[in-house]
Amino acid sequence: MTIQEPANVALAGIPAPGLAFVILVAALCLFAYIMNRRIDLLRKAMPDPRFDDIGERIRLALVYGFGQWKQPRYLVGGIIHILLFAGFMILSLRSLTLIGRGFSAEFNLPGLTGSVGMAYEVLKDYAVLMVLVVCIVAIIRRAVFKPARYAHAPGQGHEAEAYVILGMVSALMLTDMIYDGSHLAATGHTDAGLLPAATVASLFMAGSSPAALNALHIGGYWAHILIFFGFLNYLPMSKHFHVITAIPNVFFANVDKGRIKPVRHGVDEWMDLDECGITRFESFTWKHVLDFYSCADCGRCTDNCPANAVGRSLSPRMISIKARDYAYKYYPVFGTAPDPGDIKFVGDVITESEIWACTTCGACENECPILIEYIDKIVDMRRYLVDQGQVPQSLQKPMQAIKKKGNAYGGAKGKRAAWTKELDGIEVKELKAGDATDLLFFVDSCGSFDPRIQELSRSLARILAKSSTDFGILGQDETDSGNEIRRLGEEGLFEQLAQKNIAAFQDRQFKEIVAFDPHAFNAIKNDYPERFPIVHASQVIDRLIKAGRIRLSSDYLAGRVVTYHDPCYLGRHNQIYYEPRQVIQAVPGVRFRDMERSFDRSFCCSGGGVMLWYESEEEKERMGERRVRMAEQIGAQVIVTGCPFCLINLEDAVKTTGNEGKIEVIDLVELVDRSLV
Amino acid sequence: MKEIFVLAEHRKQQLRDTTWEALAAGRKLAEDLGAELTCLLLGSNVDAMADALAKEAPRVLVVEDPRLEPFHPDACMQTLKAILADRGPFMLVMGNSNALLDLAPGLSVTLDAALATDCFKFEVRDGKPLAWRQMYSYKVNTLVSFKDAERIVATLRGGAFAFTPSGAAVATVEKVASPLGGTTFRRRFVGYVEAEKGDVDVASADIIVSVGRGIGDEPDMEMFESLAEAMGGVLACSRPIVDKNLLPKYHQVGTSGVEVKPKVYLALGISGAFQHVGGIKGSPLLVAVNKDPRAPIFRVAQYGIVADLNQVVPALTDKIKQLKG
Amino acid sequence: MDIIVCMKWTPDTSEADLTVDKEGKDIRKDDLDFDMNDWDRFAIEEAVQLKEKVGGKVTAVAVAPEDAEGMLRECLARGADEAYQLWDDAFEGSDGYAVAAILAKFIKDRPHDLVLTGTLADDDCGGQIGGMVAAMLDIPGSTLVSKIQISDGKLTCHRELEGGLYESIEMDLPAVLSVATGLNEPRFVSVRAVRKVAALEIPTLELGDLGLEASAVGSDGSRIRIELMELPPEGEGAEIITGKAEEAAAKLAEILKEKGGIGS
Ligand SMILES: Cc1cc2nc3c(=O)[nH]c(=O)nc-3n(C[C@H](O)[C@H](O)[C@H](O)COP(=O)(O)OP(=O)(O)OC[C@H]3O[C@@H](n4cnc5c(N)ncnc54)[C@H](O)[C@@H]3O)c2cc1C
Ligand code: SF4
Ligand code: SF4
Repeated sequence: MTIQEPANVALAGIPAPGLAFVILVAALCLFAYIMNRRIDLLRKAMPDPRFDDIGERIRLALVYGFGQWKQPRYLVGGIIHILLFAGFMILSLRSLTLIGRGFSAEFNLPGLTGSVGMAYEVLKDYAVLMVLVVCIVAIIRRAVFKPARYAHAPGQGHEAEAYVILGMVSALMLTDMIYDGSHLAATGHTDAGLLPAATVASLFMAGSSPAALNALHIGGYWAHILIFFGFLNYLPMSKHFHVITAIPNVFFANVDKGRIKPVRHGVDEWMDLDECGITRFESFTWKHVLDFYSCADCGRCTDNCPANAVGRSLSPRMISIKARDYAYKYYPVFGTAPDPGDIKFVGDVITESEIWACTTCGACENECPILIEYIDKIVDMRRYLVDQGQVPQSLQKPMQAIKKKGNAYGGAKGKRAAWTKELDGIEVKELKAGDATDLLFFVDSCGSFDPRIQELSRSLARILAKSSTDFGILGQDETDSGNEIRRLGEEGLFEQLAQKNIAAFQDRQFKEIVAFDPHAFNAIKNDYPERFPIVHASQVIDRLIKAGRIRLSSDYLAGRVVTYHDPCYLGRHNQIYYEPRQVIQAVPGVRFRDMERSFDRSFCCSGGGVMLWYESEEEKERMGERRVRMAEQIGAQVIVTGCPFCLINLEDAVKTTGNEGKIEVIDLVELVDRSLV
Repeated sequence: MKEIFVLAEHRKQQLRDTTWEALAAGRKLAEDLGAELTCLLLGSNVDAMADALAKEAPRVLVVEDPRLEPFHPDACMQTLKAILADRGPFMLVMGNSNALLDLAPGLSVTLDAALATDCFKFEVRDGKPLAWRQMYSYKVNTLVSFKDAERIVATLRGGAFAFTPSGAAVATVEKVASPLGGTTFRRRFVGYVEAEKGDVDVASADIIVSVGRGIGDEPDMEMFESLAEAMGGVLACSRPIVDKNLLPKYHQVGTSGVEVKPKVYLALGISGAFQHVGGIKGSPLLVAVNKDPRAPIFRVAQYGIVADLNQVVPALTDKIKQLKG
Repeated sequence: MDIIVCMKWTPDTSEADLTVDKEGKDIRKDDLDFDMNDWDRFAIEEAVQLKEKVGGKVTAVAVAPEDAEGMLRECLARGADEAYQLWDDAFEGSDGYAVAAILAKFIKDRPHDLVLTGTLADDDCGGQIGGMVAAMLDIPGSTLVSKIQISDGKLTCHRELEGGLYESIEMDLPAVLSVATGLNEPRFVSVRAVRKVAALEIPTLELGDLGLEASAVGSDGSRIRIELMELPPEGEGAEIITGKAEEAAAKLAEILKEKGGIGS
C-alpha cells in the first residue's frame, strides 16, 4: 500500500508547498512581531553590561542551561523537567524536518540522512513517546498530587496556562505519532522496538482503509505544523516564555556573587540622576525584565525563602509573576497599553511589606534553576522607597545612628575599642595612620558595641594572641561596614561608610583583614570599590590549626552533639562552607552532624546588621525558631555558627522554643576560644 | 522675695498631687526666704478644695469663674496677671505637669518673670533663691540663678518635694472677683478624651513598669496592671511577653520594639538582653527585680531587688498605695 | 498656609558619657555628636504633612551657630520650602527666654498661620520655647500636641494630659503648637535627599537683620543664669536593696517616691 505525502497533496486547490510557505512566513512574521514587542521593553529598560566574561557565561549556559544542573535538587520535578528538556532538544530537529516536508516529501535536515537519519528517526520516536508520557505524568501530578509549591493565592495563579502548554505539547506528540503511525500502518510494520511511538499509533489504525490512513497522515501532518507554530507564538505570551528565554537568561546571569548592583550601570554620578531605584517599571535593568519573562513559576525560590516560610507576605516567585503580569498588561503585544493610573509598581504591585521582609539571604537565587536574581531587584525597590523617605520607623533609628555615629547602636565613636578593656593580659593594638601589622582585625559595629557580640571580639583577640599573631584594630577610625545599609537601599550612606573604611585601610599597612562578621566580610570583599585581601575568622583559625599554632581540646564540647549553621553571608554569598566545619572537626572526638538544610540550602536566621531592628508583624513564627527546631530534629546539643547575628537570633530562639539548657548556641570563635589548649 | 505663691492644680474638682508638692516646696521657700506664703486656687465651685487647702496653707486666695474650669491656660494667665500685677517681689511655684506646661512659659512672659522649669530642689544664697534642675537628657544637675529678677516662676519636678500634711493651719479663704470680664479666648476646651485602654503610648510614658519572661507562663497580669496604676505609669514588656500574646506588640520595649525615654523604669523578671535595654534611652531611674543576682540587668540598673517578683510586686503595690494616701 | 517650624540643634547626650568642663558651668561638648532635637523631627514632619494636605509654605528656622546648617538642610530635604539660620555672636549664652525672643521677632516679621516646635529639647529639658513664643506673639498655643487638624482657619488637636488622658482643644489661627513625639512617622532622609537640596540657600540673619538689640539677647537678655553643673555620682551596677521581699519592696517604694517614681 502506498501513501501520499503531504507535500504532494494540494489542499483546497492550493499546492502544499505554497500553503507551507504561507504558514511559515505568517508564523515567523507573527513570532518576530511578538518577540520584537517583548524585546522592546528590554530596550526601554536600564542598561546592564552583561557581555563580560564570556567564558564563564558559556560555562553557565552549558552547566545550568543545557546541563540542567539545578534541576535534580527537586528530584521528581527535576527529572520530569530534564526528560522534557531532552525530549525538546531532540524534537526541535524533528520539527524543522517536518516543516521542510511541507515543501518536499523527501526533505531531511542536512546531516540527518542515511544511517544517521535512521538512527535519529529511532531516537526521536523514543523521545516522542517519552515526552508524551512525561506530559501525562505532569498533568496528573499537577491535577491530583498538587505539590504545595505550585499553589497560588487566589486570583494570582496561572494554573490554566500550565495545562494549555502540557496539552499543546501532548498534541504535538500525538499528531507526530499519527503522521508517522499512519505511514507505518500503510507501508507495513518494521521492528516495533525501533519506532515505538509510530508503532503504538499504527496499532490504533490497524485495519483502517487506505483512504483513512492517507487522511490521517496528511491531517496529522498539518495539525502538527499548525500546533507547532501556535505553540511557538504562544510561548512569549505565556508563563512558558522560559522555553525560549531560559538559556539566554542563564547565559546573562549575574557572575558577581555577593555584590549589589550599582544604582545605574555606567553612571558614577548617580546622585545627580532624576530617579533612584525602581521609580517605574522601566527602571529595572533589561536583565531583570528578562528574569521576569523567564520565570517558570516552579516555586522553588519561594519554597526556600525563609521570610515566606514564617508567614511574611514576601514570595520571590510572586515578585516575578506579578512583574511579568504587569509587563504583559502594560506593555502588550497587541493593542494599546492601558493607563496604569495611580497604580505604582513599587508600593501597589509589590507592597512595602514584601520589600522590607527580605533578609537578602540568597536562598531564592541559589535555588532557581535558571539563576533568576532577587536581591538586586529588592535592593533597587528599596532604593526607591529610601529615596522617597518611606522607611519603616524601626529601621530608621539604626540607619540614622549609622549616619550620625557610624554604628547602629548609637555608641560614641570614642568607645569603639572599649571592648578591649576587659581583656586580661592582652594588649590590642589600636593602629594609627602609618602603623603596620600582619592582620587587621575589622571588628565592625556589632563587635564593638553589642555586649553579647563584644564577647566574640574578645574571643578572636584571645585566639590571635594565643597563636602569637601580629594583629591590630582600627579603633576610632573604623566605621560600620555598610553591608546592611547598602542592602537596605541607602546607597549614598553606604558610599560614605565605604570611603571612610577604605581611607582607614589605605592609611595602614597590613597583609590581610580578618572579620568574624560575615556581613562585614562580604561588604569589604565584594561591595567596596577598592579591593583588599580579606579573610573570615574561620579561615584564619583553620590555618592556625593546620599550622599547629593552636590546638583544641574536647573539654568544652565534652561529647555533646554539634551541628553547624551556615550563615548566609559566609556560605551562599561567599562559598565558605568547609573551613568552619574543619575547625569544628579539629576538636578531638567531636560528634558532628549536619542539619538537613545545610551548606547552600541553609535556612536564614532572619538577617543580620540593621535587620535586627526590624520585626515583621506578619510573622507567625521566627526564622530562628524554625532553625532551632531543625537542630533539635537531629539531636544537636550545640549549634555552632559563624556569624554574630545568627548567634543573637538563635540564642533567642533557643529560649523561646523551650530549649534553654538543652541546646547551646555558640559562635565558632567562642568555641575555639573555650577549647584552646 | 516678699511673697511665695503656690498655684493649685486640680482636675474634675479634685486637687492633684502636684498641688501638695508645690505647697511643700512653697513652705520651705517661704521659710528660707522669710516670705509670706499664699496658695492660689483658680476654678469654679471650688469650696471643697479651698477648705482642704485652708488646712495646710496660711493663706488661700480663690478666684472663681466658669471659664477657669476646666483648666484653661489662657484664662489662668489673664487671671494671674491681674492678681499679681501689683505684687512683688514674688516667686510663684507650680507642678511641672503636662497641663501646666501650657501655662508657666507664657505666664513668665506675661508677668515679665524669670522662669525655671522642672526644678527638683531650691537653695537660698544671699537671700536669693536658686534652683536645681536637670539638663542633657536629665543626666546633669544644674544650679540656676534668677539673676536679679523680682518675679520668678518655677515649676517642680513631680515627686521631688515630699508633702507632709500638718492639718494645723486655719487659713482664711479670700475670694477675689474674677478679672476676666467679657474676655473670650482663642483657645477652647472641647472635651476630655480617654485613650482606648490598649492605646497607651509606652514611648512617651514617664513611668514604666516592664515585665519579662520571669513573670512565668500564666501570670496574673492584673497584679502588674495595678502596680503600674499605683505608680501612675504604664505597663510595658520584653519580647517574649508579646510572643506569648500577654500584651500587644506596641508594649514591647527594645531595639525592634518601642524606644522609650521614661524617668523611671521598673524591670520585673527581665534579664537585660541588649535587644531589650537598647530600647531604653535617656537615663531613667532603672530598678530591677530579678531572682538571679547575676542577671545582666543589674549591671545597668541603679537599684535592684534579688527576689521572686511574685512576692515583691504585691507588697510594693500596697506600700505605694499607702504612701500616696 | 504659612507654617514656621522652630528647630533646635542639640548635642546627643543620651548615650554619651558626659563630663563637666573646666568652668563648671557646662558640659564638654567637643566629643559629642550634634543632631536635630528629636522632638523637632516630629514638628518638621508635621509641618510638611500639613502642607501636603492643605497647601502652603513651610519655613524652618533655628537659633543656632554655623554647624547647624546641616540640620536646616535636612529640613529642606524633608520638604521645607525655605530655611533660616539665626545667629550672631551676641546670641551666645541665650537662655530659653532670649531664644524665644529672637524667634518671636523672626516670626512676627513674616506671614505665619502656624508655628510648630517640639515640646522639649534634650539639652536643656526646659519645655518653654513654644509657650513663650506664643505669649510674645500674643497668639494661642499648646504643648504635647497630637492629631492636628486644620480646616477653615480653625485648628483642632489633642494635647496630652497624663496616663492616657487627652484634652481635645480648638484654636483660632495663628497659633503655636509644640508637638508630642509619635504624632506622625517622620520620613527617612537619605544622603541623596540632602544632596538634592544642596544648592538651596540658607540665609543667616544676624542681630541687625532681625532688628534686635544686643541687650535683649545672649546672657544679657537672659533671665536665668547657670551657676554650676555637676554629674550625680554614678554607682557601679545596681545598689541591691536587701531584706525579705516585703521589706525590700517597702524600701523600694520609698526610693521611688523620693525619686519621682510615683506619678499621679
Ligand atoms: C532580632 C532580635 C530582636 C529582638 N528585639 C527585642 C526587643 O525589641 N525587645 C525585647 O525585649 N527583646 C527583644 N529580643 C529578645 C531579646 O534578645 C531577649 O531574648 C529578651 O529581651 C529576653 O526577655 P526577658 O528578659 O523577658 O527573658 P529572659 O531573658 O528569659 O529573662 C527572664 C528573667 O527573669 C528572671 N526570673 C525568672 N523567674 C523569676 C521570678 N519568679 N522572679 C524574679 N525574676 C525571675 C530570670 O532570672 C531571668 O533573668 C530580640 C531578639 C532578637 C534576636
Ligand atoms: S533573599 Fe532570602 S528572604 Fe529575600 S526573597 Fe530570597 S529567599 Fe526570600
Ligand atoms: S524565580 Fe526561578 S525558582 Fe522562582 S519560580 Fe521562577 S523559575 Fe522557579
